[in-house]
Amino acid sequence: MNTKRTRRTGLAATAVLAIVGLAACGGDGSGSANGDSGEPLTTVSFWDPYPQYDDSSDWAKYVEGCAPEGTTLERTTAPNGDLLNSLTSAVREDNAPDVVLLDNPAVPDAAASGLLASSDDVDFEIGDADENLAGPGLIDGKTYGVPIGANTLGLYYNVDVLKAAGVDPASITDWASLNDALAAVTDNGNSGITFAGIAGEEGTFQFLPWFWGAGASLTDPGSSEAVEAGQLLSDWIGDGYAPKSAISDNQSASWDLFLTGDYGFAVNGSWFAKSAADLDFDAVMMPIPAKDGGAAPVPTGGEFAVAPIHQSNAQARYDAANEIIDCLVGNGNQVETDDQLGYFAANGEERQTQIDADAVWTPWTDAINNAQGRTSDLGADYTATSGALSAAEQAALNAAGDEDAVAQAFEEAGQSVGQ
Amino acid sequence: MVHQTEDVQGLVRRPPAPEARTAEAAGSDTTSPKRPRRPRISRPTLAGLGFIAPLAVYMVLFYLYPLVENVSMSLHRFTRATYVTGEAPFVGTDIYREVIGSATFAPTIVQTGLFVVISLVFQYTIGLTLAVFFQRHFPLSGVLRGLFLVPWLLPIIVSGTTWQWMMDADSGVINGLLGVIGIDSVWWLNADNALWAVIIANIWLGIPFNLVILYSGLQNIPTDLYEAASVDGASPWRQFWSITFPLLRPVTAITLLLGFVYTLKVVDIIWIMTTGSGSSQTLATWAYSMAFGKGSSAIIRYSEASVVGTVLLLIAVAMGFVYLAVQRRQEA
Repeated sequence: MNTKRTRRTGLAATAVLAIVGLAACGGDGSGSANGDSGEPLTTVSFWDPYPQYDDSSDWAKYVEGCAPEGTTLERTTAPNGDLLNSLTSAVREDNAPDVVLLDNPAVPDAAASGLLASSDDVDFEIGDADENLAGPGLIDGKTYGVPIGANTLGLYYNVDVLKAAGVDPASITDWASLNDALAAVTDNGNSGITFAGIAGEEGTFQFLPWFWGAGASLTDPGSSEAVEAGQLLSDWIGDGYAPKSAISDNQSASWDLFLTGDYGFAVNGSWFAKSAADLDFDAVMMPIPAKDGGAAPVPTGGEFAVAPIHQSNAQARYDAANEIIDCLVGNGNQVETDDQLGYFAANGEERQTQIDADAVWTPWTDAINNAQGRTSDLGADYTATSGALSAAEQAALNAAGDEDAVAQAFEEAGQSVGQ
Repeated sequence: MVHQTEDVQGLVRRPPAPEARTAEAAGSDTTSPKRPRRPRISRPTLAGLGFIAPLAVYMVLFYLYPLVENVSMSLHRFTRATYVTGEAPFVGTDIYREVIGSATFAPTIVQTGLFVVISLVFQYTIGLTLAVFFQRHFPLSGVLRGLFLVPWLLPIIVSGTTWQWMMDADSGVINGLLGVIGIDSVWWLNADNALWAVIIANIWLGIPFNLVILYSGLQNIPTDLYEAASVDGASPWRQFWSITFPLLRPVTAITLLLGFVYTLKVVDIIWIMTTGSGSSQTLATWAYSMAFGKGSSAIIRYSEASVVGTVLLLIAVAMGFVYLAVQRRQEA
């Protein structure tokens, strides 16, 4: 009986020791992470929202080439919508990357939440970026990031489908003539138009050309002009001009639909311009028409290079960030970076050189030069307005033409923002 | 039958209880003059604590701590900036009142209830029917039963996306089939129908789980009961209701409880198909969208999300007590 008991106690002691051991290991691990302040960096880390480029891609090698001397660059990539959340937790743990490419409408929110280092700490050079493109990085007189380039939206059309339906692209100058063209295309047995109406920022981005084109302003998403924009898209669903899947399509999904060759039109980004030139049908871009004619204002897309806040070894990290950012977007380097991504340079002169060099960009010139920043009017409050607008657009698309439901949806958006 | 089990239990009780034996052993220890005074906690107890310690530490670290954090978060106002500044003012039950008072709360509760109850009823009924069907062995029955597990084995990103394609309003295969038999096509994934779309997909997803558990439950029912019943001339229908169903009751209880908890917290299949839009928003997807600032909630709302998380937890705990009560009644 005694031996039995001794063995039990021994086992129990082993179990307890094992736990203490585990706890000790945990302590060691977290201790070494914080203990390297003041040392020179050997690795720098870099996040971008381009999961389509894997580690063996040209883009990955290009970025790795920007590592400051004596360091290696570790690139991590995550979908656009996840990047800000990952950054929030990383800053909290003080293991944020040195440089992040952050979607431009997220920059004011991130800066207001104290996640980003400002021009006080990092010597950002934004001197040559156009004002409308640098806007989201300027908050309360401080610079929080540099645009790496820009993209925007246009209206692609399938030349063959339009020709078969007897539609002259040049006749499409306003919403009425666009609707006539959609009617002609669908009457001829083809499909109308694809766009991304997915809930969230991506859907809002695609809605803004119609919203601004009707004369609405982000300061009042409940206005009658906003309702008109919602009604236009709602009617497309109701009349069968646009696929019902638009309520959940993102920009890749809606582009895939256009690639089937069945659709006459597609609202999509300049980042598809180069691949659009290589399709088996002729896809041409025209500016998105405003309600009463002329080109509608389009939103600027694209990311900002930002440097997150650091606690330990901060200055060395900010210096490294500065070097990486300079290598990516500094004078003369930006065009090469943007060519990799299919973006426009943020500086007017460099952009003109880029456009002159490739005929594919010619129709985009006016659109990109006049594109508007999404956060220019509202700053960090844009996030809430964008959410309300997205909810209203979703409701409008679901209404499939029902005018009362569309009006009510935008009225609610106006109220929720007013609160 | 019942009397027999009571007799067996009586037999087991007859030898001295373990506690009594320990007391005897302890008694013999104290009589020995060489030994020092016993510590207040006996060594077997100490050994017992030692064995419990790993589990206890694990529970505290991975269950209790996150739960307490979750409740604490729901009582403080967290924003994105909280992670940098650490400022999260205590606001008491303000956030609970805001969330429960919001226009989304009541419809979300109703949708969650419909989602869980309808899913469970169909998953269980179909799962049980299939389990009974596969109880008779016939050629290829094993292969067929294996094939029914496919929904369980597929990654949900694959099955969710496939359901989304099949339910596409313009070119989906389901509307294509409906068209063949002359029914107007349905806009499955719009705000009104989204709940039914995700329920259908979730039923499909849950059948294998019910099939497997109920099938193994069926294996434990003695076959001589069925033989006796058929000698007495009971129809298969009568055999099911008088033998299979009553004897399967404990397995049914655990299947439904686990199914309830699994269904209550489903996010993935709903999120992939509809991002929780329209009527497909449940408490779980609502909490997810607020916690990560996705889908219907553009702004990140940590505290509101943890309020919904706490509500979910309370519902699950309540179901746990219901299960315990049912189990106790069955044992009595």
